Amino acid sequence: MPSISKILIALCFAPALSWSQGYQVNLQGQAQQGMASAGTGLIQDAASVFYNPGGMSFLDKSEIIGGMSPTFSNGIFTEANTDEFARTTSPVGTPFAAYGVYKFSDTSKLSLGLGIYTPFGSTVEWEEGWVGRFAVTRLQLMSIFIQPTISYKLADAIGVGAGFIYSYGKVNLQKDLPLQFQNGDYGSVELAGTGSGFGFNVGIYFEPTKWFSAGLTYRSQVNMNLKKGTATFNIPNSLEDKFPSGSFTSSLPLPSVMTLGLAFKPTDQLAIALDINHVGWVAYDTLAFDYEQNTESLEDTKSPRNYENTFAFRLGAQYDFTDKIIARAGLSYGISPVSDGYVTPETPDANRVSYTVGMGYGISDRLKIDASLLYTQVSRTDRNLETNLEGTFKVMAFAPGLSISYIFK
Amino acid sequence: MNRYLTFIAIIIIAASCKPKKIETQSELGDVDVTSIVAIGGNSFAGYSDDALHREGQEYSIPSIVLSRMEGSNQFNPFSQPYLSSSSDGINLNGNSKLILGYKTDCKGVTSLSPIRKATSGNLNDLNNWIYGTDGPFYNLSIPNLKSEDLNNVGLGNPANGTGNYNPWFSRIASNQVNSSILSDAAALNPTFLFLSVGQDEITEFAKTGATGTVLTNAVFYNNLQNIAATIPNAQGVISKIPNVLLTPYFNTIPYNGLTLDSDQATTINSVFNPIGITFQVGDNGFLIEDASEPFGVRKMVEGELVLLGIPLDSVKCFGMGSIVPIPDRYILSLDEITAIDQLISLYNNEISSYAAAYNYALVDPTQTYLSLQSGIVYNGVSMSTEFVSGGAFSLDGLNLNPIGNALLANQYIKAINNKYNARIPLAPVTNYPGVYFP
Repeated sequence: MPSISKILIALCFAPALSWSQGYQVNLQGQAQQGMASAGTGLIQDAASVFYNPGGMSFLDKSEIIGGMSPTFSNGIFTEANTDEFARTTSPVGTPFAAYGVYKFSDTSKLSLGLGIYTPFGSTVEWEEGWVGRFAVTRLQLMSIFIQPTISYKLADAIGVGAGFIYSYGKVNLQKDLPLQFQNGDYGSVELAGTGSGFGFNVGIYFEPTKWFSAGLTYRSQVNMNLKKGTATFNIPNSLEDKFPSGSFTSSLPLPSVMTLGLAFKPTDQLAIALDINHVGWVAYDTLAFDYEQNTESLEDTKSPRNYENTFAFRLGAQYDFTDKIIARAGLSYGISPVSDGYVTPETPDANRVSYTVGMGYGISDRLKIDASLLYTQVSRTDRNLETNLEGTFKVMAFAPGLSISYIFK
Repeated sequence: MNRYLTFIAIIIIAASCKPKKIETQSELGDVDVTSIVAIGGNSFAGYSDDALHREGQEYSIPSIVLSRMEGSNQFNPFSQPYLSSSSDGINLNGNSKLILGYKTDCKGVTSLSPIRKATSGNLNDLNNWIYGTDGPFYNLSIPNLKSEDLNNVGLGNPANGTGNYNPWFSRIASNQVNSSILSDAAALNPTFLFLSVGQDEITEFAKTGATGTVLTNAVFYNNLQNIAATIPNAQGVISKIPNVLLTPYFNTIPYNGLTLDSDQATTINSVFNPIGITFQVGDNGFLIEDASEPFGVRKMVEGELVLLGIPLDSVKCFGMGSIVPIPDRYILSLDEITAIDQLISLYNNEISSYAAAYNYALVDPTQTYLSLQSGIVYNGVSMSTEFVSGGAFSLDGLNLNPIGNALLANQYIKAINNKYNARIPLAPVTNYPGVYFP
């Protein structure tokens, strides 16, 4: 059997970038990913810490899961009118998630859980000298959420749960500046910083019959505040006093997500799940950088983003072939939060259809492996109102993922 | 086992999947590219940074347009009378081109300023006849082109004496004694012409403070017609004359740049109050020559323009503009401005008529100048008519730099596309060089 590591090594040579709706990465829990990331109304495993804390207390056993979804994507931008084009050279995205649920006893109504996951982030890098280089050459956005969670089964059919979120994030934005050195090279700036924020994740889970269940969750907005970022200018000597390297502050909202999930189990083998997400992207109104030291040339910037609240619809199904093998498939449709005129090369977003498949394999009663694969593509033509960059972005992305679960019996 | 192999195969196939470029078709339409010839002045020759230099030539307007015309490969590279790549540039005064550097003024203040790249240019760049080794040239544009020069046999003949020949044409004429620009052009059997005539004579008039003389528009039109008479059946694109008064050369030094404290104001007033001129503390219009005034001097008023060619050290340290009036040649008065505007308008009417009569595509560069004046953002880069920092004009403040040329070249491409059913892709403006900083 070829080892998974070999597959991953082979894949690492492919240029990639990770993109999802806005800068949100919907890659949590392999069982759920196989079903288009629907899992709010269907309690499968410890990933319920993320998908629905209210359903966590419905798990029979204590359980831990660790998984990763390397994200490969290729983007191309074709400029309107000039026929110039450029490709992305982004590295592989590495969203990961680990969840643990602890039950005091099989009959305990109380469960404790912990989730460590990366719900937002991506690295987008464009080839050298591309036509949009004065807008962005590279953006790395990384966030880790740590979510201790408590869940309580109020009755046989209903459970509630709540988690506290601490998030830590990193941002690194690079772009060229239209200031040329004597040799013709362009200057550049790198804005790097770390930030942290707080939030919560609450949910209620309802399972009135064997064949129907539902969930409602709300993950709050988390504001990542960059208190002391570092701006580093690489520019001709004669301009150094105009563009002093130094500190800046900024903040990035990670939007709230409210989800209604429904699940149907018409037979013992088949489960169908539907999640409807409402994402509070309206919070991403402006990307502002406040430089500690301003000059005539270096003023604070406020770039309008004007994101809008959006919906995403996720439909998935799974079928138990045997006790050990489960197959999954899903389809999702996400509406872009980015209005016309605001598409940027760091998140060239569009309405998108995503296709997923997945498989679960029980190695033993205690050990389970889940694999998933997501494929999506987007295409968006726009003229950005701030930079006037005009053209068509096309992105293809796919994310194979693998997780291992251990159930304490 | 097979299952894993299938899974791996899927992943590898998906990983190698790349989105495709939007397919577009570049077409030359009805443009006859058999022989493309350019006849123009500074902007077509690539004169910028107050000299002819290699980079300016490489990014001359016709050169940029032709580089975007796929399928006209016989013109890539366009046959232009290049200076050697090691040249520092040369102008008629023997100077090298301007670059940005540090300059210390009369007050001892050192600042970033246009300075000459070398103590002098290499006069061989100007004086060597290069037709024999590098000709023929399809870009027959020369700096300081005057419309009456087009048909002037012997325009390149140094024996005619200074002022009666154009050394830029001497370099590139097939025969210095017997050829004119139009005869050399006709010898190439042009099928498509790039034309820009009249701009240099208007610019010259304006930058000498409207102190010279210009042709009437009727004579100008007759000179244009010499082109069609010599080369009757060519297609082409012709440029109107841009409003040169929108360039940084005329808009960098404010009319009221004379700033006085109370002591200075008192001193100057003691001299000028008796002849009815009063200066105040703060900003004042410069003192200028004006022959129509009783004492031959007056203060500048709003709307009048100071030329960038003014000797700044004289202003800063030797009382020019305060005690000593600024000579007329460095100033455009309101009347002169009106005269220049009218002249441009008259010439442009003739160019429009000529374009209509001979069925050429027509370009109006003033549109590019106006959009720069109000400021544009191109792929995240802000550009304006600000001197140096505006990014689109060269360091002489009069001629565009390669970025500015690319902006203007796109107007040519649009005009050609429109006239000749072509689909030539525009030039990616921000890929062209701009201002180099030390």
